[in-house]
Amino acid sequence: MILRGTLAIWQRDMLILRRSIFSELLAVVAYPLTMYLAFGIGMQSYIGLVDGTPYGLFIAPGLITMTAVNAAYNESVWSLWFHRRVQFTIESYRVTPISVSEIVIAKICTGFTHGIIKGVAVGVVIFAITPFRFPLEHLFYYLLFLIPASAFFSCAGIISGTVMDKPETIGKVEAVLVMPLIFMSGLFFPLSSYPTDVIPWVKLLPTTALFEGARRALVAGEVQSVYLLQVVLSALFTFIAAVVIFRRKMSE
Amino acid sequence: MRWQLRAVPCMESTETMPAAAIIIRSLTKVYGSLTALDHFDLEVVQGSIFGLLGPNGAGKTTLIRILTTLMRQSSGTAVIEGFDSLRDGREIRRRIGVVSQENSLDRYLTARENLELHARLHGLAKRQYQPRIDHLLELMGLSGRQKDFPDTFSGGMQRRLVIARALVHQPQVLFLDEPTTGLDPQSRRAVWEYIRSLAGSMTIFLTTHYLEEAEQLCDRIAIMDHGRLIALGSTQELKDRLSGATVYEIEFAGQSADQYARLLADMSCVIGISRAERSVTVTLECWECLSEIVTALNGAAIRRISLKERTLEDVFISLTGEKVRE
Ligand SMILES: Nc1ncnc2c1ncn2[C@@H]1O[C@H](COP(=O)(O)OP(=O)(O)O)[C@@H](O)[C@H]1O
Ligand SMILES: [Mg+2]
Repeated sequence: MILRGTLAIWQRDMLILRRSIFSELLAVVAYPLTMYLAFGIGMQSYIGLVDGTPYGLFIAPGLITMTAVNAAYNESVWSLWFHRRVQFTIESYRVTPISVSEIVIAKICTGFTHGIIKGVAVGVVIFAITPFRFPLEHLFYYLLFLIPASAFFSCAGIISGTVMDKPETIGKVEAVLVMPLIFMSGLFFPLSSYPTDVIPWVKLLPTTALFEGARRALVAGEVQSVYLLQVVLSALFTFIAAVVIFRRKMSE
Repeated sequence: MRWQLRAVPCMESTETMPAAAIIIRSLTKVYGSLTALDHFDLEVVQGSIFGLLGPNGAGKTTLIRILTTLMRQSSGTAVIEGFDSLRDGREIRRRIGVVSQENSLDRYLTARENLELHARLHGLAKRQYQPRIDHLLELMGLSGRQKDFPDTFSGGMQRRLVIARALVHQPQVLFLDEPTTGLDPQSRRAVWEYIRSLAGSMTIFLTTHYLEEAEQLCDRIAIMDHGRLIALGSTQELKDRLSGATVYEIEFAGQSADQYARLLADMSCVIGISRAERSVTVTLECWECLSEIVTALNGAAIRRISLKERTLEDVFISLTGEKVRE
Protein backbone atom coordinates (compact mmCIF):
# COMPACT_ATOMS: atom_id res chain seq x y z
CA MET A 1 0.00 0.00 0.00
CA ILE A 2 1.36 3.34 -1.06
CA LEU A 3 0.54 5.23 2.15
CA ARG A 4 1.78 2.58 4.57
CA GLY A 5 4.76 4.73 5.47
CA THR A 6 2.59 7.80 5.93
CA LEU A 7 0.34 5.93 8.32
CA ALA A 8 3.23 4.50 10.36
CA ILE A 9 4.95 7.87 10.77
CA TRP A 10 1.71 9.73 11.50
CA GLN A 11 0.82 7.13 14.15
CA ARG A 12 4.26 7.58 15.68
CA ASP A 13 3.62 11.33 15.90
CA MET A 14 0.18 10.76 17.41
CA LEU A 15 1.67 8.46 20.04
CA ILE A 16 4.04 11.25 21.07
CA LEU A 17 1.16 13.75 21.11
CA ARG A 18 -0.95 11.43 23.29
CA ARG A 19 1.87 11.08 25.77
CA SER A 20 2.06 14.81 26.37
CA ILE A 21 -1.47 15.85 25.51
CA PHE A 22 -2.24 17.61 28.80
CA SER A 23 0.84 19.78 28.93
CA GLU A 24 0.48 20.51 25.19
CA LEU A 25 -3.11 21.58 25.57
CA LEU A 26 -2.43 23.62 28.67
CA ALA A 27 0.35 25.49 26.92
CA VAL A 28 -1.67 26.04 23.78
CA VAL A 29 -4.87 27.17 25.49
CA ALA A 30 -3.12 29.62 27.81
CA TYR A 31 -2.19 32.17 25.13
CA PRO A 32 -5.50 32.67 23.29
CA LEU A 33 -7.34 32.48 26.58
CA THR A 34 -5.22 35.30 27.99
CA MET A 35 -5.94 37.33 24.87
CA TYR A 36 -9.59 36.59 25.14
CA LEU A 37 -9.75 37.66 28.76
CA ALA A 38 -7.63 40.75 28.19
CA PHE A 39 -9.31 41.99 25.01
CA GLY A 40 -12.63 40.26 24.76
CA ILE A 41 -13.64 40.90 28.35
CA GLY A 42 -11.29 43.67 29.40
CA MET A 43 -11.88 45.89 26.35
CA GLN A 44 -15.46 44.81 25.73
CA SER A 45 -17.05 47.74 27.53
CA TYR A 46 -14.81 50.30 25.77
CA ILE A 47 -15.28 48.86 22.30
CA GLY A 48 -18.87 47.67 22.43
CA LEU A 49 -20.12 46.45 19.08
CA VAL A 50 -17.95 45.88 16.03
CA ASP A 51 -19.97 45.66 12.82
CA GLY A 52 -22.95 44.89 15.03
CA THR A 53 -21.23 42.09 16.91
CA PRO A 54 -20.12 42.24 20.58
CA TYR A 55 -16.31 42.53 20.64
CA GLY A 56 -15.85 39.32 22.63
CA LEU A 57 -17.78 37.42 20.01
CA PHE A 58 -16.01 39.28 17.22
CA ILE A 59 -12.57 38.04 18.24
CA ALA A 60 -13.51 34.54 19.45
CA PRO A 61 -13.48 32.80 16.02
CA GLY A 62 -10.19 34.51 15.16
CA LEU A 63 -8.57 33.30 18.36
CA ILE A 64 -9.62 29.74 17.64
CA THR A 65 -8.44 29.99 14.05
CA MET A 66 -5.19 31.58 15.15
CA THR A 67 -4.54 28.80 17.64
CA ALA A 68 -5.21 26.12 15.05
CA VAL A 69 -3.09 27.57 12.27
CA ASN A 70 -0.29 28.53 14.64
CA ALA A 71 -0.24 25.04 16.12
CA ALA A 72 -0.22 23.48 12.65
CA TYR A 73 2.58 25.75 11.47
CA ASN A 74 4.69 25.34 14.59
CA GLU A 75 4.36 21.60 14.79
CA SER A 76 5.31 21.20 11.14
CA VAL A 77 8.21 23.60 11.06
CA TRP A 78 9.86 22.45 14.29
CA SER A 79 9.15 18.78 13.83
CA LEU A 80 10.58 18.75 10.36
CA TRP A 81 13.62 20.71 11.39
CA PHE A 82 14.17 18.53 14.46
CA HIS A 83 13.79 15.21 12.67
CA ARG A 84 15.91 16.38 9.76
CA ARG A 85 18.69 18.29 11.48
CA VAL A 86 18.85 17.14 15.10
CA GLN A 87 17.64 13.60 15.36
CA PHE A 88 18.28 12.48 11.75
CA THR A 89 15.14 10.37 11.97
CA ILE A 90 14.06 11.50 8.49
CA GLU A 91 17.20 9.82 7.22
CA SER A 92 16.35 6.63 9.09
CA TYR A 93 12.93 6.67 7.39
CA ARG A 94 14.57 7.22 4.03
CA VAL A 95 16.55 3.99 4.09
CA THR A 96 13.33 1.96 4.34
CA PRO A 97 11.28 1.05 1.28
CA ILE A 98 8.89 3.99 1.59
CA SER A 99 8.97 7.04 -0.66
CA VAL A 100 10.00 10.56 0.24
CA SER A 101 6.45 11.72 -0.55
CA GLU A 102 5.05 9.34 2.05
CA ILE A 103 7.30 10.94 4.66
CA VAL A 104 6.37 14.52 3.84
CA ILE A 105 2.66 13.70 3.65
CA ALA A 106 2.87 12.08 7.09
CA LYS A 107 4.45 15.22 8.49
CA ILE A 108 1.80 17.41 6.85
CA CYS A 109 -0.94 15.24 8.39
CA THR A 110 0.69 15.53 11.80
CA GLY A 111 0.80 19.33 11.67
CA PHE A 112 -2.79 19.34 10.45
CA THR A 113 -3.93 17.11 13.31
CA HIS A 114 -2.17 19.28 15.88
CA GLY A 115 -3.94 22.32 14.43
CA ILE A 116 -7.39 20.78 14.55
CA ILE A 117 -7.01 19.29 18.03
CA LYS A 118 -5.61 22.46 19.56
CA GLY A 119 -8.09 24.69 17.76
CA VAL A 120 -10.97 22.58 19.04
CA ALA A 121 -9.55 22.65 22.57
CA VAL A 122 -9.40 26.44 22.58
CA GLY A 123 -12.87 26.58 21.05
CA VAL A 124 -14.29 24.40 23.81
CA VAL A 125 -12.69 26.53 26.52
CA ILE A 126 -13.80 29.84 25.02
CA PHE A 127 -17.34 28.61 24.54
CA ALA A 128 -17.41 27.30 28.08
CA ILE A 129 -16.66 30.76 29.49
CA THR A 130 -18.74 32.91 27.12
CA PRO A 131 -22.47 33.38 26.91
CA PHE A 132 -22.49 33.18 23.08
CA ARG A 133 -24.15 30.15 21.51
CA PHE A 134 -24.36 29.14 17.85
CA PRO A 135 -26.55 26.85 15.84
CA LEU A 136 -24.74 23.62 15.01
CA GLU A 137 -24.57 24.35 11.29
CA HIS A 138 -22.50 27.48 11.97
CA LEU A 139 -19.93 25.25 13.53
CA PHE A 140 -19.96 23.07 10.46
CA TYR A 141 -19.46 26.09 8.18
CA TYR A 142 -16.64 27.23 10.41
CA LEU A 143 -14.92 23.86 10.05
CA LEU A 144 -15.12 24.27 6.27
CA PHE A 145 -12.57 27.03 6.80
CA LEU A 146 -10.61 25.59 9.67
CA ILE A 147 -9.78 22.32 7.95
CA PRO A 148 -8.14 23.70 4.80
CA ALA A 149 -6.57 26.46 6.91
CA SER A 150 -4.82 23.96 9.18
CA ALA A 151 -3.64 22.06 6.12
CA PHE A 152 -2.43 25.31 4.54
CA PHE A 153 -0.39 26.31 7.60
CA SER A 154 0.91 22.81 8.14
CA CYS A 155 2.21 22.76 4.56
CA ALA A 156 3.70 26.22 4.99
CA GLY A 157 5.45 24.97 8.12
CA ILE A 158 6.79 21.96 6.23
CA ILE A 159 8.22 24.25 3.57
CA SER A 160 9.90 26.44 6.20
CA GLY A 161 11.25 23.43 8.09
CA THR A 162 12.59 22.00 4.84
CA VAL A 163 14.39 25.03 3.49
CA MET A 164 15.65 26.49 6.77
CA ASP A 165 18.55 24.78 8.44
CA LYS A 166 19.05 27.13 11.38
CA PRO A 167 16.59 27.43 14.26
CA GLU A 168 17.13 31.20 14.52
CA THR A 169 16.00 31.63 10.91
CA ILE A 170 12.83 29.77 11.75
CA GLY A 171 12.21 32.10 14.69
CA LYS A 172 12.81 35.18 12.54
CA VAL A 173 10.48 34.05 9.77
CA GLU A 174 7.78 33.44 12.31
CA ALA A 175 8.19 36.91 13.83
CA VAL A 176 8.46 38.75 10.51
CA LEU A 177 6.06 36.81 8.31
CA VAL A 178 3.72 34.42 10.07
CA MET A 179 2.61 36.46 13.07
CA PRO A 180 2.07 39.71 11.09
CA LEU A 181 0.10 37.78 8.49
CA ILE A 182 -2.18 36.47 11.21
CA PHE A 183 -2.54 39.72 13.14
CA MET A 184 -2.97 42.02 10.15
CA SER A 185 -5.78 39.94 8.68
CA GLY A 186 -8.55 41.32 10.84
CA LEU A 187 -8.19 39.11 13.86
CA PHE A 188 -8.75 41.95 16.37
CA PHE A 189 -10.31 44.61 14.16
CA PRO A 190 -12.57 44.75 11.12
CA LEU A 191 -10.99 45.22 7.70
CA SER A 192 -12.88 48.51 7.40
CA SER A 193 -10.32 49.97 9.82
CA TYR A 194 -7.74 49.95 7.01
CA PRO A 195 -7.45 52.94 4.65
CA THR A 196 -9.75 52.36 1.66
CA ASP A 197 -6.99 52.00 -0.93
CA VAL A 198 -5.18 49.39 1.18
CA ILE A 199 -8.20 47.13 1.64
CA PRO A 200 -8.06 45.44 -1.81
CA TRP A 201 -4.46 44.45 -1.12
CA VAL A 202 -5.20 43.11 2.32
CA LYS A 203 -8.02 41.09 0.79
CA LEU A 204 -5.55 39.36 -1.48
CA LEU A 205 -3.91 37.72 1.54
CA PRO A 206 -5.07 34.15 2.07
CA THR A 207 -5.07 34.86 5.82
CA THR A 208 -7.63 37.64 5.34
CA ALA A 209 -9.87 35.26 3.47
CA LEU A 210 -9.40 32.82 6.29
CA PHE A 211 -10.04 35.07 9.29
CA GLU A 212 -12.84 37.05 7.66
CA GLY A 213 -14.44 33.97 6.15
CA ALA A 214 -14.17 31.91 9.31
CA ARG A 215 -15.68 34.67 11.43
CA ARG A 216 -18.64 35.17 9.10
CA ALA A 217 -19.17 31.42 9.03
CA LEU A 218 -19.24 31.08 12.79
CA VAL A 219 -20.99 34.29 13.77
CA ALA A 220 -23.46 34.72 10.93
CA GLY A 221 -23.57 31.24 9.46
CA GLU A 222 -22.74 32.43 5.95
CA VAL A 223 -20.08 30.84 3.74
CA GLN A 224 -18.37 33.33 1.49
CA SER A 225 -17.39 31.13 -1.42
CA VAL A 226 -14.64 33.43 -2.72
CA TYR A 227 -12.95 33.38 0.66
CA LEU A 228 -13.41 29.65 1.00
CA LEU A 229 -12.02 29.06 -2.48
CA GLN A 230 -9.03 31.26 -1.64
CA VAL A 231 -8.24 29.21 1.47
CA VAL A 232 -8.74 25.85 -0.25
CA LEU A 233 -6.58 26.85 -3.22
CA SER A 234 -3.85 28.13 -0.88
CA ALA A 235 -3.90 24.78 0.91
CA LEU A 236 -3.68 22.87 -2.36
CA PHE A 237 -0.94 25.07 -3.70
CA THR A 238 1.20 24.86 -0.55
CA PHE A 239 0.61 21.11 -0.36
CA ILE A 240 2.05 20.60 -3.84
CA ALA A 241 4.85 23.06 -3.10
CA ALA A 242 5.69 21.33 0.18
CA VAL A 243 5.91 17.90 -1.44
CA VAL A 244 7.99 19.20 -4.36
CA ILE A 245 10.34 21.26 -2.16
CA PHE A 246 10.84 18.43 0.32
CA ARG A 247 11.55 15.94 -2.45
CA ARG A 248 14.02 18.29 -4.05
CA LYS A 249 15.78 18.92 -0.75
CA MET A 250 16.04 15.19 -0.09
CA SER A 251 17.62 14.47 -3.47
CA GLU A 252 20.39 17.02 -2.89
CA MET B 1 48.32 -7.72 -9.12
CA ARG B 2 46.59 -10.23 -6.93
CA TRP B 3 44.98 -7.78 -4.54
CA GLN B 4 42.99 -6.29 -7.35
CA LEU B 5 39.69 -7.97 -8.11
CA ARG B 6 39.17 -9.01 -11.65
CA ALA B 7 37.06 -6.60 -13.63
CA VAL B 8 33.98 -8.68 -14.36
CA PRO B 9 30.95 -7.24 -16.16
CA CYS B 10 28.01 -6.90 -13.71
CA MET B 11 25.84 -9.84 -14.59
CA GLU B 12 28.45 -12.36 -15.61
CA SER B 13 28.86 -14.12 -12.30
CA THR B 14 29.28 -17.85 -12.79
CA GLU B 15 28.89 -20.88 -10.53
CA THR B 16 32.52 -20.97 -9.53
CA MET B 17 32.61 -17.34 -8.47
CA PRO B 18 30.49 -16.28 -5.51
CA ALA B 19 27.85 -13.76 -6.54
CA ALA B 20 28.56 -10.11 -5.85
CA ALA B 21 26.36 -8.32 -3.33
CA ILE B 22 27.73 -4.93 -4.32
CA ILE B 23 29.20 -3.87 -7.64
CA ILE B 24 30.55 -0.36 -7.98
CA ARG B 25 31.78 0.91 -11.32
CA SER B 26 33.58 4.19 -11.83
CA LEU B 27 31.48 5.83 -9.14
CA THR B 28 32.06 9.57 -8.88
CA LYS B 29 30.56 12.18 -6.60
CA VAL B 30 31.35 15.86 -6.91
CA TYR B 31 30.35 18.45 -4.30
CA GLY B 32 30.84 21.79 -6.02
CA SER B 33 34.56 21.84 -6.75
CA LEU B 34 35.40 18.94 -4.42
CA THR B 35 35.58 15.43 -5.82
CA ALA B 36 34.60 13.26 -2.86
CA LEU B 37 34.54 10.04 -4.89
CA ASP B 38 36.74 9.66 -7.90
CA HIS B 39 35.98 6.84 -10.36
CA PHE B 40 35.64 4.33 -7.58
CA ASP B 41 35.52 0.62 -8.51
CA LEU B 42 34.73 -2.18 -6.09
CA GLU B 43 33.02 -5.51 -5.76
CA VAL B 44 31.86 -7.13 -2.56
CA VAL B 45 31.15 -10.83 -2.47
CA GLN B 46 27.91 -12.07 -0.90
CA GLY B 47 28.19 -13.22 2.68
CA SER B 48 31.51 -11.56 3.41
CA ILE B 49 32.45 -8.89 5.91
CA PHE B 50 33.99 -6.13 3.90
CA GLY B 51 35.84 -3.22 5.46
CA LEU B 52 36.35 0.16 3.86
CA LEU B 53 39.24 1.79 5.61
CA GLY B 54 40.14 5.41 5.25
CA PRO B 55 40.94 8.53 7.23
CA ASN B 56 38.39 11.26 7.94
CA GLY B 57 37.23 12.96 4.77
CA ALA B 58 38.31 10.04 2.57
CA GLY B 59 34.79 9.71 1.14
CA LYS B 60 33.51 6.69 3.07
CA THR B 61 30.22 8.23 4.14
CA THR B 62 29.66 9.62 0.67
CA LEU B 63 30.04 6.13 -0.75
CA ILE B 64 27.67 4.59 1.82
CA ARG B 65 25.09 7.31 1.21
CA ILE B 66 25.10 6.53 -2.49
CA LEU B 67 24.90 2.78 -1.94
CA THR B 68 21.99 3.19 0.49
CA THR B 69 20.16 5.47 -2.02
CA LEU B 70 20.27 8.52 0.26
CA MET B 71 22.24 10.40 -2.34
CA ARG B 72 22.71 10.29 -6.10
CA GLN B 73 26.11 9.91 -7.66
CA SER B 74 27.44 12.38 -10.20
CA SER B 75 28.39 9.51 -12.54
CA GLY B 76 29.13 5.81 -12.58
CA THR B 77 26.97 2.94 -11.38
CA ALA B 78 26.29 1.10 -8.15
CA VAL B 79 24.45 -2.22 -8.17
CA ILE B 80 23.28 -3.79 -4.92
CA GLU B 81 21.93 -7.35 -4.98
CA GLY B 82 21.37 -6.90 -8.70
CA PHE B 83 19.48 -3.59 -8.40
CA ASP B 84 20.67 -0.30 -9.77
CA SER B 85 20.96 2.46 -7.15
CA LEU B 86 19.46 5.11 -9.41
CA ARG B 87 16.56 3.12 -10.84
CA ASP B 88 15.56 0.60 -8.18
CA GLY B 89 15.97 2.51 -4.91
CA ARG B 90 12.94 0.94 -3.27
CA GLU B 91 14.02 -2.62 -4.16
CA ILE B 92 17.47 -1.91 -2.73
CA ARG B 93 16.04 -0.44 0.48
CA ARG B 94 13.92 -3.55 0.99
CA ARG B 95 17.12 -5.58 1.12
CA ILE B 96 19.51 -3.42 3.10
CA GLY B 97 19.98 -2.45 6.72
CA VAL B 98 21.74 0.80 7.47
CA VAL B 99 23.65 1.94 10.54
CA SER B 100 24.52 5.53 9.74
CA GLN B 101 27.38 7.49 11.22
CA GLU B 102 25.02 9.45 13.47
CA ASN B 103 22.76 7.31 15.59
CA SER B 104 19.43 8.66 14.24
CA LEU B 105 17.42 7.07 17.05
CA ASP B 106 14.07 8.55 17.96
CA ARG B 107 14.52 9.78 21.52
CA TYR B 108 10.77 10.15 22.03
CA LEU B 109 10.20 6.46 21.40
CA THR B 110 11.33 3.64 23.66
CA ALA B 111 13.96 1.22 22.42
CA ARG B 112 11.31 -1.27 21.45
CA GLU B 113 9.10 1.34 19.78
CA ASN B 114 12.07 2.44 17.70
CA LEU B 115 12.32 -1.09 16.34
CA GLU B 116 8.56 -1.41 15.88
CA LEU B 117 8.32 1.77 13.81
CA HIS B 118 11.12 0.57 11.61
CA ALA B 119 9.45 -2.81 11.15
CA ARG B 120 6.23 -1.08 10.12
CA LEU B 121 8.06 1.10 7.62
CA HIS B 122 9.30 -2.15 6.13
CA GLY B 123 5.73 -3.35 5.86
CA LEU B 124 6.04 -6.15 8.38
CA ALA B 125 2.92 -7.33 10.18
CA LYS B 126 2.79 -7.27 13.96
CA ARG B 127 2.88 -11.05 14.33
CA GLN B 128 6.01 -11.11 12.15
CA TYR B 129 7.93 -8.36 13.85
CA GLN B 130 7.14 -8.95 17.52
CA PRO B 131 9.07 -12.24 17.86
CA ARG B 132 11.81 -10.89 15.63
CA ILE B 133 12.23 -7.82 17.85
CA ASP B 134 12.29 -10.00 20.98
CA HIS B 135 15.06 -12.01 19.40
CA LEU B 136 17.11 -8.98 18.33
CA LEU B 137 16.83 -7.25 21.70
CA GLU B 138 18.05 -10.48 23.25
CA LEU B 139 20.88 -10.78 20.73
CA MET B 140 22.07 -7.21 21.32
CA GLY B 141 21.76 -7.52 25.09
CA LEU B 142 19.02 -4.89 25.36
CA SER B 143 16.00 -6.91 26.47
CA GLY B 144 16.06 -5.49 29.97
CA ARG B 145 16.06 -1.92 28.69
CA GLN B 146 13.50 -2.19 25.90
CA LYS B 147 10.97 0.10 27.61
CA ASP B 148 13.53 2.83 28.23
CA PHE B 149 14.22 5.81 26.02
CA PRO B 150 17.47 5.68 24.08
CA ASP B 151 18.87 8.93 25.47
CA THR B 152 19.25 7.12 28.80
CA PHE B 153 21.51 4.57 27.08
CA SER B 154 25.30 4.53 26.95
CA GLY B 155 26.96 5.14 23.59
CA GLY B 156 27.58 1.44 23.09
CA MET B 157 23.98 0.51 23.88
CA GLN B 158 22.65 3.16 21.49
CA ARG B 159 24.89 1.80 18.79
CA ARG B 160 23.64 -1.73 19.41
CA LEU B 161 20.07 -0.51 19.26
CA VAL B 162 20.74 1.09 15.88
CA ILE B 163 22.25 -2.18 14.70
CA ALA B 164 19.19 -4.07 15.96
CA ARG B 165 16.98 -1.60 14.11
CA ALA B 166 18.90 -2.21 10.92
CA LEU B 167 18.33 -5.95 11.29
CA VAL B 168 14.58 -5.98 12.00
CA HIS B 169 13.62 -6.81 8.41
CA GLN B 170 16.39 -9.39 7.94
CA PRO B 171 18.40 -7.52 5.32
CA GLN B 172 20.67 -9.21 2.83
CA VAL B 173 23.26 -6.46 3.06
CA LEU B 174 24.11 -4.54 6.23
CA PHE B 175 25.87 -1.19 5.92
CA LEU B 176 27.67 0.17 8.98
CA ASP B 177 29.26 3.60 8.80
CA GLU B 178 31.96 3.84 11.46
CA PRO B 179 30.06 1.58 13.88
CA THR B 180 32.40 2.12 16.82
CA THR B 181 33.70 5.65 16.39
CA GLY B 182 33.49 7.48 19.69
CA LEU B 183 33.02 4.35 21.81
CA ASP B 184 35.32 3.35 24.62
CA PRO B 185 37.48 0.26 23.98
CA GLN B 186 35.22 -2.02 25.99
CA SER B 187 32.01 -1.03 24.21
CA ARG B 188 33.88 -1.23 20.93
CA ARG B 189 34.78 -4.84 21.60
CA ALA B 190 31.18 -5.59 22.53
CA VAL B 191 29.97 -4.12 19.23
CA TRP B 192 32.59 -6.17 17.40
CA GLU B 193 31.27 -9.30 19.06
CA TYR B 194 27.73 -8.54 17.90
CA ILE B 195 28.88 -7.82 14.37
CA ARG B 196 30.92 -10.99 14.31
CA SER B 197 27.92 -13.00 15.43
CA LEU B 198 26.17 -11.92 12.22
CA ALA B 199 28.96 -13.13 9.96
CA GLY B 200 27.87 -15.43 7.20
CA SER B 201 24.16 -14.70 7.49
CA MET B 202 24.42 -11.58 5.36
CA THR B 203 26.88 -9.38 3.54
CA ILE B 204 28.35 -6.77 5.85
CA PHE B 205 29.89 -3.59 4.51
CA LEU B 206 31.50 -1.43 7.14
CA THR B 207 33.63 1.67 7.11
CA THR B 208 36.16 2.55 9.73
CA HIS B 209 39.23 4.60 10.36
CA TYR B 210 40.45 2.13 12.96
CA LEU B 211 42.98 -0.25 11.48
CA GLU B 212 42.45 -2.69 14.29
CA GLU B 213 38.73 -2.81 13.61
CA ALA B 214 39.24 -3.68 9.97
CA GLU B 215 41.81 -6.26 10.90
CA GLN B 216 39.65 -7.86 13.59
CA LEU B 217 36.40 -8.02 11.68
CA CYS B 218 36.89 -8.06 7.97
CA ASP B 219 37.52 -10.77 5.41
CA ARG B 220 38.54 -8.22 2.85
CA ILE B 221 39.64 -4.66 3.18
CA ALA B 222 39.71 -1.73 0.80
CA ILE B 223 41.84 1.25 1.67
CA MET B 224 40.73 4.59 0.29
CA ASP B 225 41.79 8.19 0.55
CA HIS B 226 40.76 11.37 -1.27
CA GLY B 227 37.91 9.51 -2.95
CA ARG B 228 40.17 6.95 -4.54
CA LEU B 229 40.71 3.27 -3.97
CA ILE B 230 44.31 2.73 -2.94
CA ALA B 231 44.46 -0.96 -2.17
CA LEU B 232 42.22 -3.96 -1.92
CA GLY B 233 42.71 -7.45 -0.53
CA SER B 234 42.60 -9.59 2.57
CA THR B 235 44.46 -8.33 5.63
CA GLN B 236 47.25 -10.78 4.91
CA GLU B 237 47.47 -9.84 1.23
CA LEU B 238 47.73 -6.19 2.14
CA LYS B 239 50.49 -6.87 4.60
CA ASP B 240 52.36 -9.08 2.14
CA ARG B 241 52.10 -6.30 -0.32
CA LEU B 242 54.56 -4.27 1.73
CA SER B 243 57.31 -5.63 -0.53
CA GLY B 244 58.83 -9.04 0.23
CA ALA B 245 60.89 -7.48 2.96
CA THR B 246 60.73 -8.94 6.44
CA VAL B 247 61.58 -7.24 9.68
CA TYR B 248 63.33 -8.89 12.62
CA GLU B 249 64.05 -7.59 16.00
CA ILE B 250 67.29 -8.85 17.53
CA GLU B 251 67.63 -8.42 21.25
CA PHE B 252 71.10 -8.55 22.82
CA ALA B 253 72.15 -9.36 26.31
CA GLY B 254 74.60 -6.87 27.81
CA GLN B 255 75.96 -3.75 26.11
CA SER B 256 76.85 -5.19 22.72
CA ALA B 257 73.97 -3.74 20.65
CA ASP B 258 76.03 -0.80 19.36
CA GLN B 259 78.85 -2.86 18.10
CA TYR B 260 76.64 -5.31 16.22
CA ALA B 261 74.44 -2.57 14.84
CA ARG B 262 77.45 -1.20 12.96
CA LEU B 263 78.32 -4.64 11.71
CA LEU B 264 74.79 -5.32 10.50
CA ALA B 265 74.44 -1.93 8.84
CA ASP B 266 77.35 -2.78 6.55
CA MET B 267 75.79 -6.02 5.32
CA SER B 268 74.35 -5.94 1.82
CA CYS B 269 71.18 -7.90 2.61
CA VAL B 270 70.14 -5.43 5.30
CA ILE B 271 68.05 -2.71 3.72
CA GLY B 272 67.03 -0.89 6.85
CA ILE B 273 68.16 -0.71 10.42
CA SER B 274 67.12 1.02 13.59
CA ARG B 275 68.29 0.49 17.11
CA ALA B 276 66.95 0.85 20.58
CA GLU B 277 68.89 0.50 23.83
CA ARG B 278 69.27 -3.27 23.80
CA SER B 279 67.91 -4.27 20.47
CA VAL B 280 68.35 -3.74 16.77
CA THR B 281 65.56 -3.90 14.27
CA VAL B 282 66.65 -4.92 10.80
CA THR B 283 64.68 -4.97 7.59
CA LEU B 284 65.94 -7.74 5.35
CA GLU B 285 65.60 -8.04 1.62
CA CYS B 286 64.09 -11.49 2.04
CA TRP B 287 63.72 -13.98 4.84
CA GLU B 288 66.50 -16.20 3.40
CA CYS B 289 68.99 -13.54 4.51
CA LEU B 290 68.37 -14.42 8.10
CA SER B 291 70.97 -17.21 8.14
CA GLU B 292 73.61 -14.78 6.88
CA ILE B 293 72.78 -12.50 9.78
CA VAL B 294 73.00 -15.29 12.29
CA THR B 295 76.39 -16.29 10.91
CA ALA B 296 77.66 -12.73 11.11
CA LEU B 297 76.51 -12.45 14.68
CA ASN B 298 78.37 -15.62 15.62
CA GLY B 299 79.44 -15.40 19.25
CA ALA B 300 77.23 -12.44 20.14
CA ALA B 301 75.12 -12.64 23.28
CA ILE B 302 71.74 -12.82 21.59
CA ARG B 303 68.71 -13.17 23.82
CA ARG B 304 66.04 -13.33 21.16
CA ILE B 305 65.40 -12.91 17.47
CA SER B 306 61.78 -12.22 16.65
CA LEU B 307 59.85 -11.66 13.45
CA LYS B 308 57.97 -8.39 13.61
CA GLU B 309 54.38 -8.52 12.32
CA ARG B 310 53.56 -5.72 9.93
CA THR B 311 50.41 -3.88 10.84
CA LEU B 312 47.80 -2.30 8.64
CA GLU B 313 49.14 0.97 9.92
CA ASP B 314 52.43 0.15 8.18
CA VAL B 315 50.48 -0.68 5.03
CA PHE B 316 48.64 2.59 5.24
CA ILE B 317 51.79 4.62 5.76
CA SER B 318 53.57 2.88 2.92
CA LEU B 319 50.63 3.52 0.59
CA THR B 320 49.82 7.10 1.46
CA GLY B 321 53.01 8.31 3.05
CA GLU B 322 51.06 9.46 6.09
CA LYS B 323 49.43 8.17 9.22
CA VAL B 324 45.71 7.66 9.43
CA ARG B 325 44.09 11.00 10.25
CA GLU B 326 41.72 10.65 13.18
N1 LIG C 1 27.18 17.57 1.67
C1 LIG C 1 28.46 17.89 1.42
N2 LIG C 1 28.78 19.02 0.76
C2 LIG C 1 30.05 19.34 0.48
N3 LIG C 1 31.12 18.59 0.81
C3 LIG C 1 30.88 17.44 1.47
C4 LIG C 1 29.55 17.02 1.80
N4 LIG C 1 29.62 15.84 2.45
C5 LIG C 1 30.93 15.54 2.52
N5 LIG C 1 31.69 16.49 1.94
C6 LIG C 1 33.16 16.46 1.78
O1 LIG C 1 33.48 15.30 1.04
C7 LIG C 1 34.65 14.68 1.55
C8 LIG C 1 34.34 13.26 1.95
O2 LIG C 1 33.47 13.28 3.06
P1 LIG C 1 32.91 11.96 3.73
O3 LIG C 1 32.33 11.11 2.68
O4 LIG C 1 32.01 12.38 4.83
O5 LIG C 1 34.23 11.31 4.30
P2 LIG C 1 34.44 10.24 5.45
O6 LIG C 1 33.11 9.62 5.75
O7 LIG C 1 35.40 9.26 4.88
O8 LIG C 1 35.00 10.95 6.62
C9 LIG C 1 35.10 15.54 2.72
O9 LIG C 1 36.12 16.40 2.26
C10 LIG C 1 33.88 16.32 3.10
O10 LIG C 1 34.22 17.56 3.63
MG1 LIG D 1 32.12 9.47 7.52
